[in-house]
Amino acid sequence: MTTRYVGAPVLRVEDPAFLRGRAAFIDDIAPPRCLHAAFLRSPHAHARIVRIDTAAAAALPGVHAVLTGEDFCDELPFTTTIATRPECKTGTRRLLPLDKARHVGDPIAVVVADSRYVAEDALDLIVVEWQLLPVVTDPEAALLAGAPLIHEELGSNDFAHITFTAGDPDGVFARAPRTFSKRFHFGRTHAAPLEGRGVVADWDATTGKATVWTSTQMPHLVRGMLAGQFGMPETSLRVICPAVGGGFGLKVQLFVEEAIVPLLSRRLGRPVKWIEDRSEALGASGHSKEVVMDIDLATDDEGRFLALRGRYVGDGGAYLAHPWTSLIDPLCAASFLPSFYDVQDLAYEVRTPFTNKCPSVAYRGVGWTPGQAAREILIDEAARALDIDPVELRLRNAVPDGIPYRSATGASYDGGSFQGAIRRALELVDYDGLRERQATLRAEGRYLGIGVSPFVEQGGWAARIAAVNGFPGFAYLDSASVSMEPDGTVTVAGGFQSNGQGHETTMAQVVADALQVPFESVRVLQGDTDTVPYATGSYGSRTAVVAGGALLRASGDVRAKLLRLGAHLLEASPDDVELVDGLIRVAGTPSRSVTIKQAAAAAYWGPRPDDLDPALSATRSYDPPETFSNACVVAVVEVDARTGQVAIERLLVVEDCGTIVNPLIVDGQVSGAIAQAVGAVLLEGLPYDEHGQFRAATLADFLFPKTTDLPSVEVDHLETPSPVTEGGFKGMGEGGLIGGPSALVNAIADALVPLGAGASVVRTPLRPCDILELIDAARAAV
Amino acid sequence: MSDQDTALHRVTLTVNGTSRTLDIEPRTLLVHALRNELSLTGTKIGCDTSQCGACTVLIDGRSFKSCTVLAVQADGTSVTTIEGVGSGRELAAVQEAFKQHHGLQCGYCTPGMVLATVELLNQNANPDEAAIRHGLAGNVCRCTGYSGIVDSVKAAAAAGVGK
Amino acid sequence: MIPAQFAYRRATSVADAVAALADPDAKVIAGGHSLVPMMKLRLARPGTLIDIGGLPLRGIADGAEIVVGSLTSHADLAQAAAFAAAGLQAVAECAAAVGDVQVRNAGTIGGSVAHGDPASDAPAGLIAADARIRVAGAAGEREIAVDAFFQGPFWTALGEQELVSAIVFPKPAAGSASAYESIEDPASGYPLVGAAALVTVAGGRVTAVRIGVTGVSGTPFRATNAEAATLAGAPVADAARLDITGQDVFGDTRFDEEYRRHIAAVVIGRAVERAIARAQGGSQ
Repeated sequence: MTTRYVGAPVLRVEDPAFLRGRAAFIDDIAPPRCLHAAFLRSPHAHARIVRIDTAAAAALPGVHAVLTGEDFCDELPFTTTIATRPECKTGTRRLLPLDKARHVGDPIAVVVADSRYVAEDALDLIVVEWQLLPVVTDPEAALLAGAPLIHEELGSNDFAHITFTAGDPDGVFARAPRTFSKRFHFGRTHAAPLEGRGVVADWDATTGKATVWTSTQMPHLVRGMLAGQFGMPETSLRVICPAVGGGFGLKVQLFVEEAIVPLLSRRLGRPVKWIEDRSEALGASGHSKEVVMDIDLATDDEGRFLALRGRYVGDGGAYLAHPWTSLIDPLCAASFLPSFYDVQDLAYEVRTPFTNKCPSVAYRGVGWTPGQAAREILIDEAARALDIDPVELRLRNAVPDGIPYRSATGASYDGGSFQGAIRRALELVDYDGLRERQATLRAEGRYLGIGVSPFVEQGGWAARIAAVNGFPGFAYLDSASVSMEPDGTVTVAGGFQSNGQGHETTMAQVVADALQVPFESVRVLQGDTDTVPYATGSYGSRTAVVAGGALLRASGDVRAKLLRLGAHLLEASPDDVELVDGLIRVAGTPSRSVTIKQAAAAAYWGPRPDDLDPALSATRSYDPPETFSNACVVAVVEVDARTGQVAIERLLVVEDCGTIVNPLIVDGQVSGAIAQAVGAVLLEGLPYDEHGQFRAATLADFLFPKTTDLPSVEVDHLETPSPVTEGGFKGMGEGGLIGGPSALVNAIADALVPLGAGASVVRTPLRPCDILELIDAARAAV
Repeated sequence: MSDQDTALHRVTLTVNGTSRTLDIEPRTLLVHALRNELSLTGTKIGCDTSQCGACTVLIDGRSFKSCTVLAVQADGTSVTTIEGVGSGRELAAVQEAFKQHHGLQCGYCTPGMVLATVELLNQNANPDEAAIRHGLAGNVCRCTGYSGIVDSVKAAAAAGVGK
Repeated sequence: MIPAQFAYRRATSVADAVAALADPDAKVIAGGHSLVPMMKLRLARPGTLIDIGGLPLRGIADGAEIVVGSLTSHADLAQAAAFAAAGLQAVAECAAAVGDVQVRNAGTIGGSVAHGDPASDAPAGLIAADARIRVAGAAGEREIAVDAFFQGPFWTALGEQELVSAIVFPKPAAGSASAYESIEDPASGYPLVGAAALVTVAGGRVTAVRIGVTGVSGTPFRATNAEAATLAGAPVADAARLDITGQDVFGDTRFDEEYRRHIAAVVIGRAVERAIARAQGGSQ
């Protein structure tokens, strides 16, 4: 078999529709007679609802309904838990609250009107009488006795308290020659896809069937959760996912709005659309990655890592993200405490209290981002204290390349290029030359900083990887189908859901090679639960591994039938024929061949073997073993000590995601994730004041990285195929945002060392004012 | 306010070369007039407050953020949306450059980014990387990290877009 | 995010617009890039919008003075060669520093000035250039010196029933040059601090200087201590600290007051340095 497409920079087939503005996103879905919904959201962080007067709003011409929590009393509440973790409580949430608002942006009422214009006018006319309640916005304060309770029925704000120990970490710490500690507060950030959330629903009362269009990364899971919510068969609910304008993990949650909008359509007998505006997106969709961490490292005098301890307190916000819960950040952070460093004595503790803030949800890299930051910043500080080069210290402790290794937290690495990626990165940035230039510049009063952040990441969230991350006990069904049509063209269908990753291209590449057909002859269907096989969606770097694996298996089934059909046409034994470049030919006698098209036609119209089930279609699933990608990020920055501004000179990534399907797309994923890392560290912030007021309601406050905020990202590849997965794919997409922030923070800290402020970097974001404050404080301390 | 002034206003625009007349509320935003009244849904809404540029269109040949322009303000102007770039059959050179250089991922910023690129290259047919980044600073992309976009604009300039 | 309802009138002449302003609930809209977002957030709810966009107030007339029509866009201002030729580079540089391309295309100098947004770039250049703001009212036109125009946040000397018709820039003496320096808020493109300096150099010495500062505080201001230091050849940034001490400096969640004070002095120093270099025919 020859490989023509996998590994090649195939141009994306989805691009022309986007470039012409012809792709339909959720706001472009416009069923006839569609009404428009808008939500009234709480202006207070924590307040009892004394009274809601909707009369004036309901009387406005063009308004069809104004509904509050009372109107949804008969509906099931959202119920979220991780049943397989006894340490967790169960959280319930009414679709709209009856009792109180729990964060600024909490939906309180909903208006349905002829247009969004009228709906927003009606929102102005709703009068709510509030009784303000005490507020807690700090996760550690939320755990203290006497803290205001967000959910009184749970008895405390502590959603989960999870501990884990391997070996004898406390004993090792007691005996260790050197110990180091770091407290780091990774700041709240936001996936902030450029397209926000949105739902369109059309519930047909005559048939009892409903169609829900939603901007999601997981159409089938949405269908299942909504069908349960509505008490209807899954066959009565069709979920269609149009083009998705970015997801980054945010759209791997089911949101209450997605449940409310179909109910509005059921009640009014007309389609209803809700499109989130940017203020709703920023304050009321989901925030991510805020974890307060205390990490301890024990070493010997040569810097050999002996033990690690970590305490992780996530900020869960007011409600549990459905279905992953707020553990998605702190528990994933803890599970990767050891990274690829050879440490077998380890302990962690995870807590994730409720607070009066926006719920915390998944965002690219989830808790691996803050966890990586805290650990890698501590390693840099230890290196300075030990007077060992920080990269050398990492190399001394990294697991060797290419061999299986079981981490102290139970992850089975399938062999990576942990050390190789570091060495390659050093070579590409000319690390020694950079250090020399840094010394020269320092003598001139200029502050160059270098941050190196190597990492290992899980590739392909599925049952076994989820368990490694602390989410045990569930299987995942991810299936996909391959069908060859009578003319030899191929239809691929699956429940994966592209939100920018180009699955229509990459999945076609995989199948085209497996069936030895032209890439152009393969079409890919996704995003409609009525037409594609069941899968849990696209998130957690999983589509290449999970869907790619299922498609390789399904293609194998189809291929076996093609070989039998071809052999039959050639009057040869199936064992003697091979599939090469669109032909089925007798091995060793290439002149005796038929085309795949002839074999496909034979399946439908004959001649064909009597004992062959001729359906040229296969649906297969794949629940992969554990697989792990790895990479190394290098950031080079210059800090202007007079203004606190950080200029990024270089951002370089050496990436190893196993077999590469499409280097163009891999590079794009890396570059995009790195830009989000720049945002998380230098620009983005989601501040709440002491009253729980949210201070980032527009993009004038929450700063997306712009063209002028970063240089082009340099990407280099190593390719260590997985020995355990179908195709050797390891999965990627999140890594830039796992390794990027710590590379940047370490680069800034490195720049600040001569100013005496290296170790004082204790949180993100690091805006110019923060950096200047660190410099001033260090000067004052001298 | 008088009833006469709040009544529907007649607005005439030349959109992608065709004259269109609309009777709309004065508060109607240009982006909504294009999307809802004229079904030109290629223009996207990203931030609502003029930071992101997803809603960029050309008005009399210059780029504007149509979420922050009232449709009545555009009365009498000529508006180009993404649907007016290239022919129905073939991508324009600027669009082809984005395809060739992976200048888009989710595609949501893309229409605005393409139109901002048209303006940029009309003003400066041979921009260096700094000029490209400066010229596109009003358009946000959350997916690409801009590397592919900068490469695309360089390629579009090399292909003679803007000359 | 939709504006509340309002009445809309397209002004047919300056006099028509002025007459319409008799309604206290009316507001003038030019480019709309300051007003429309506020209206969409429903933080501004004018009863009537008077659209002056169609009035013949656009264009730059270069004569004994440079007269800029109030509807001239920042983009046109940034590209006008007349300013650099007159030593008023800072005026064009202020315009070039506004927001991004689309905002510069939509935003007008008159709208920006009339809005009195203390965080906009334009006032620094106007102050350095000793510009006059020409306004039209019921009693006809009058001119207001820039030093008397900006009075506080979103508060100017513009009367209730007046609109800005032009900005008049006197041409400075031979041997003059100017420069604008700023540190921008990465989101809005508004300056956290912007400083424009206009210097006249004769016989190797600075013989005249004006420095305008914007973005830092509620009112754009002249940095008179920094001006004195410039004339005396003393360190400008140190003197600039005195100018900022008297100001009611902004602070927000991203950039606090202390930070803005600190960078203001740095930026004022840089503007003066660059203006002098230009006047001496040195680097740009």
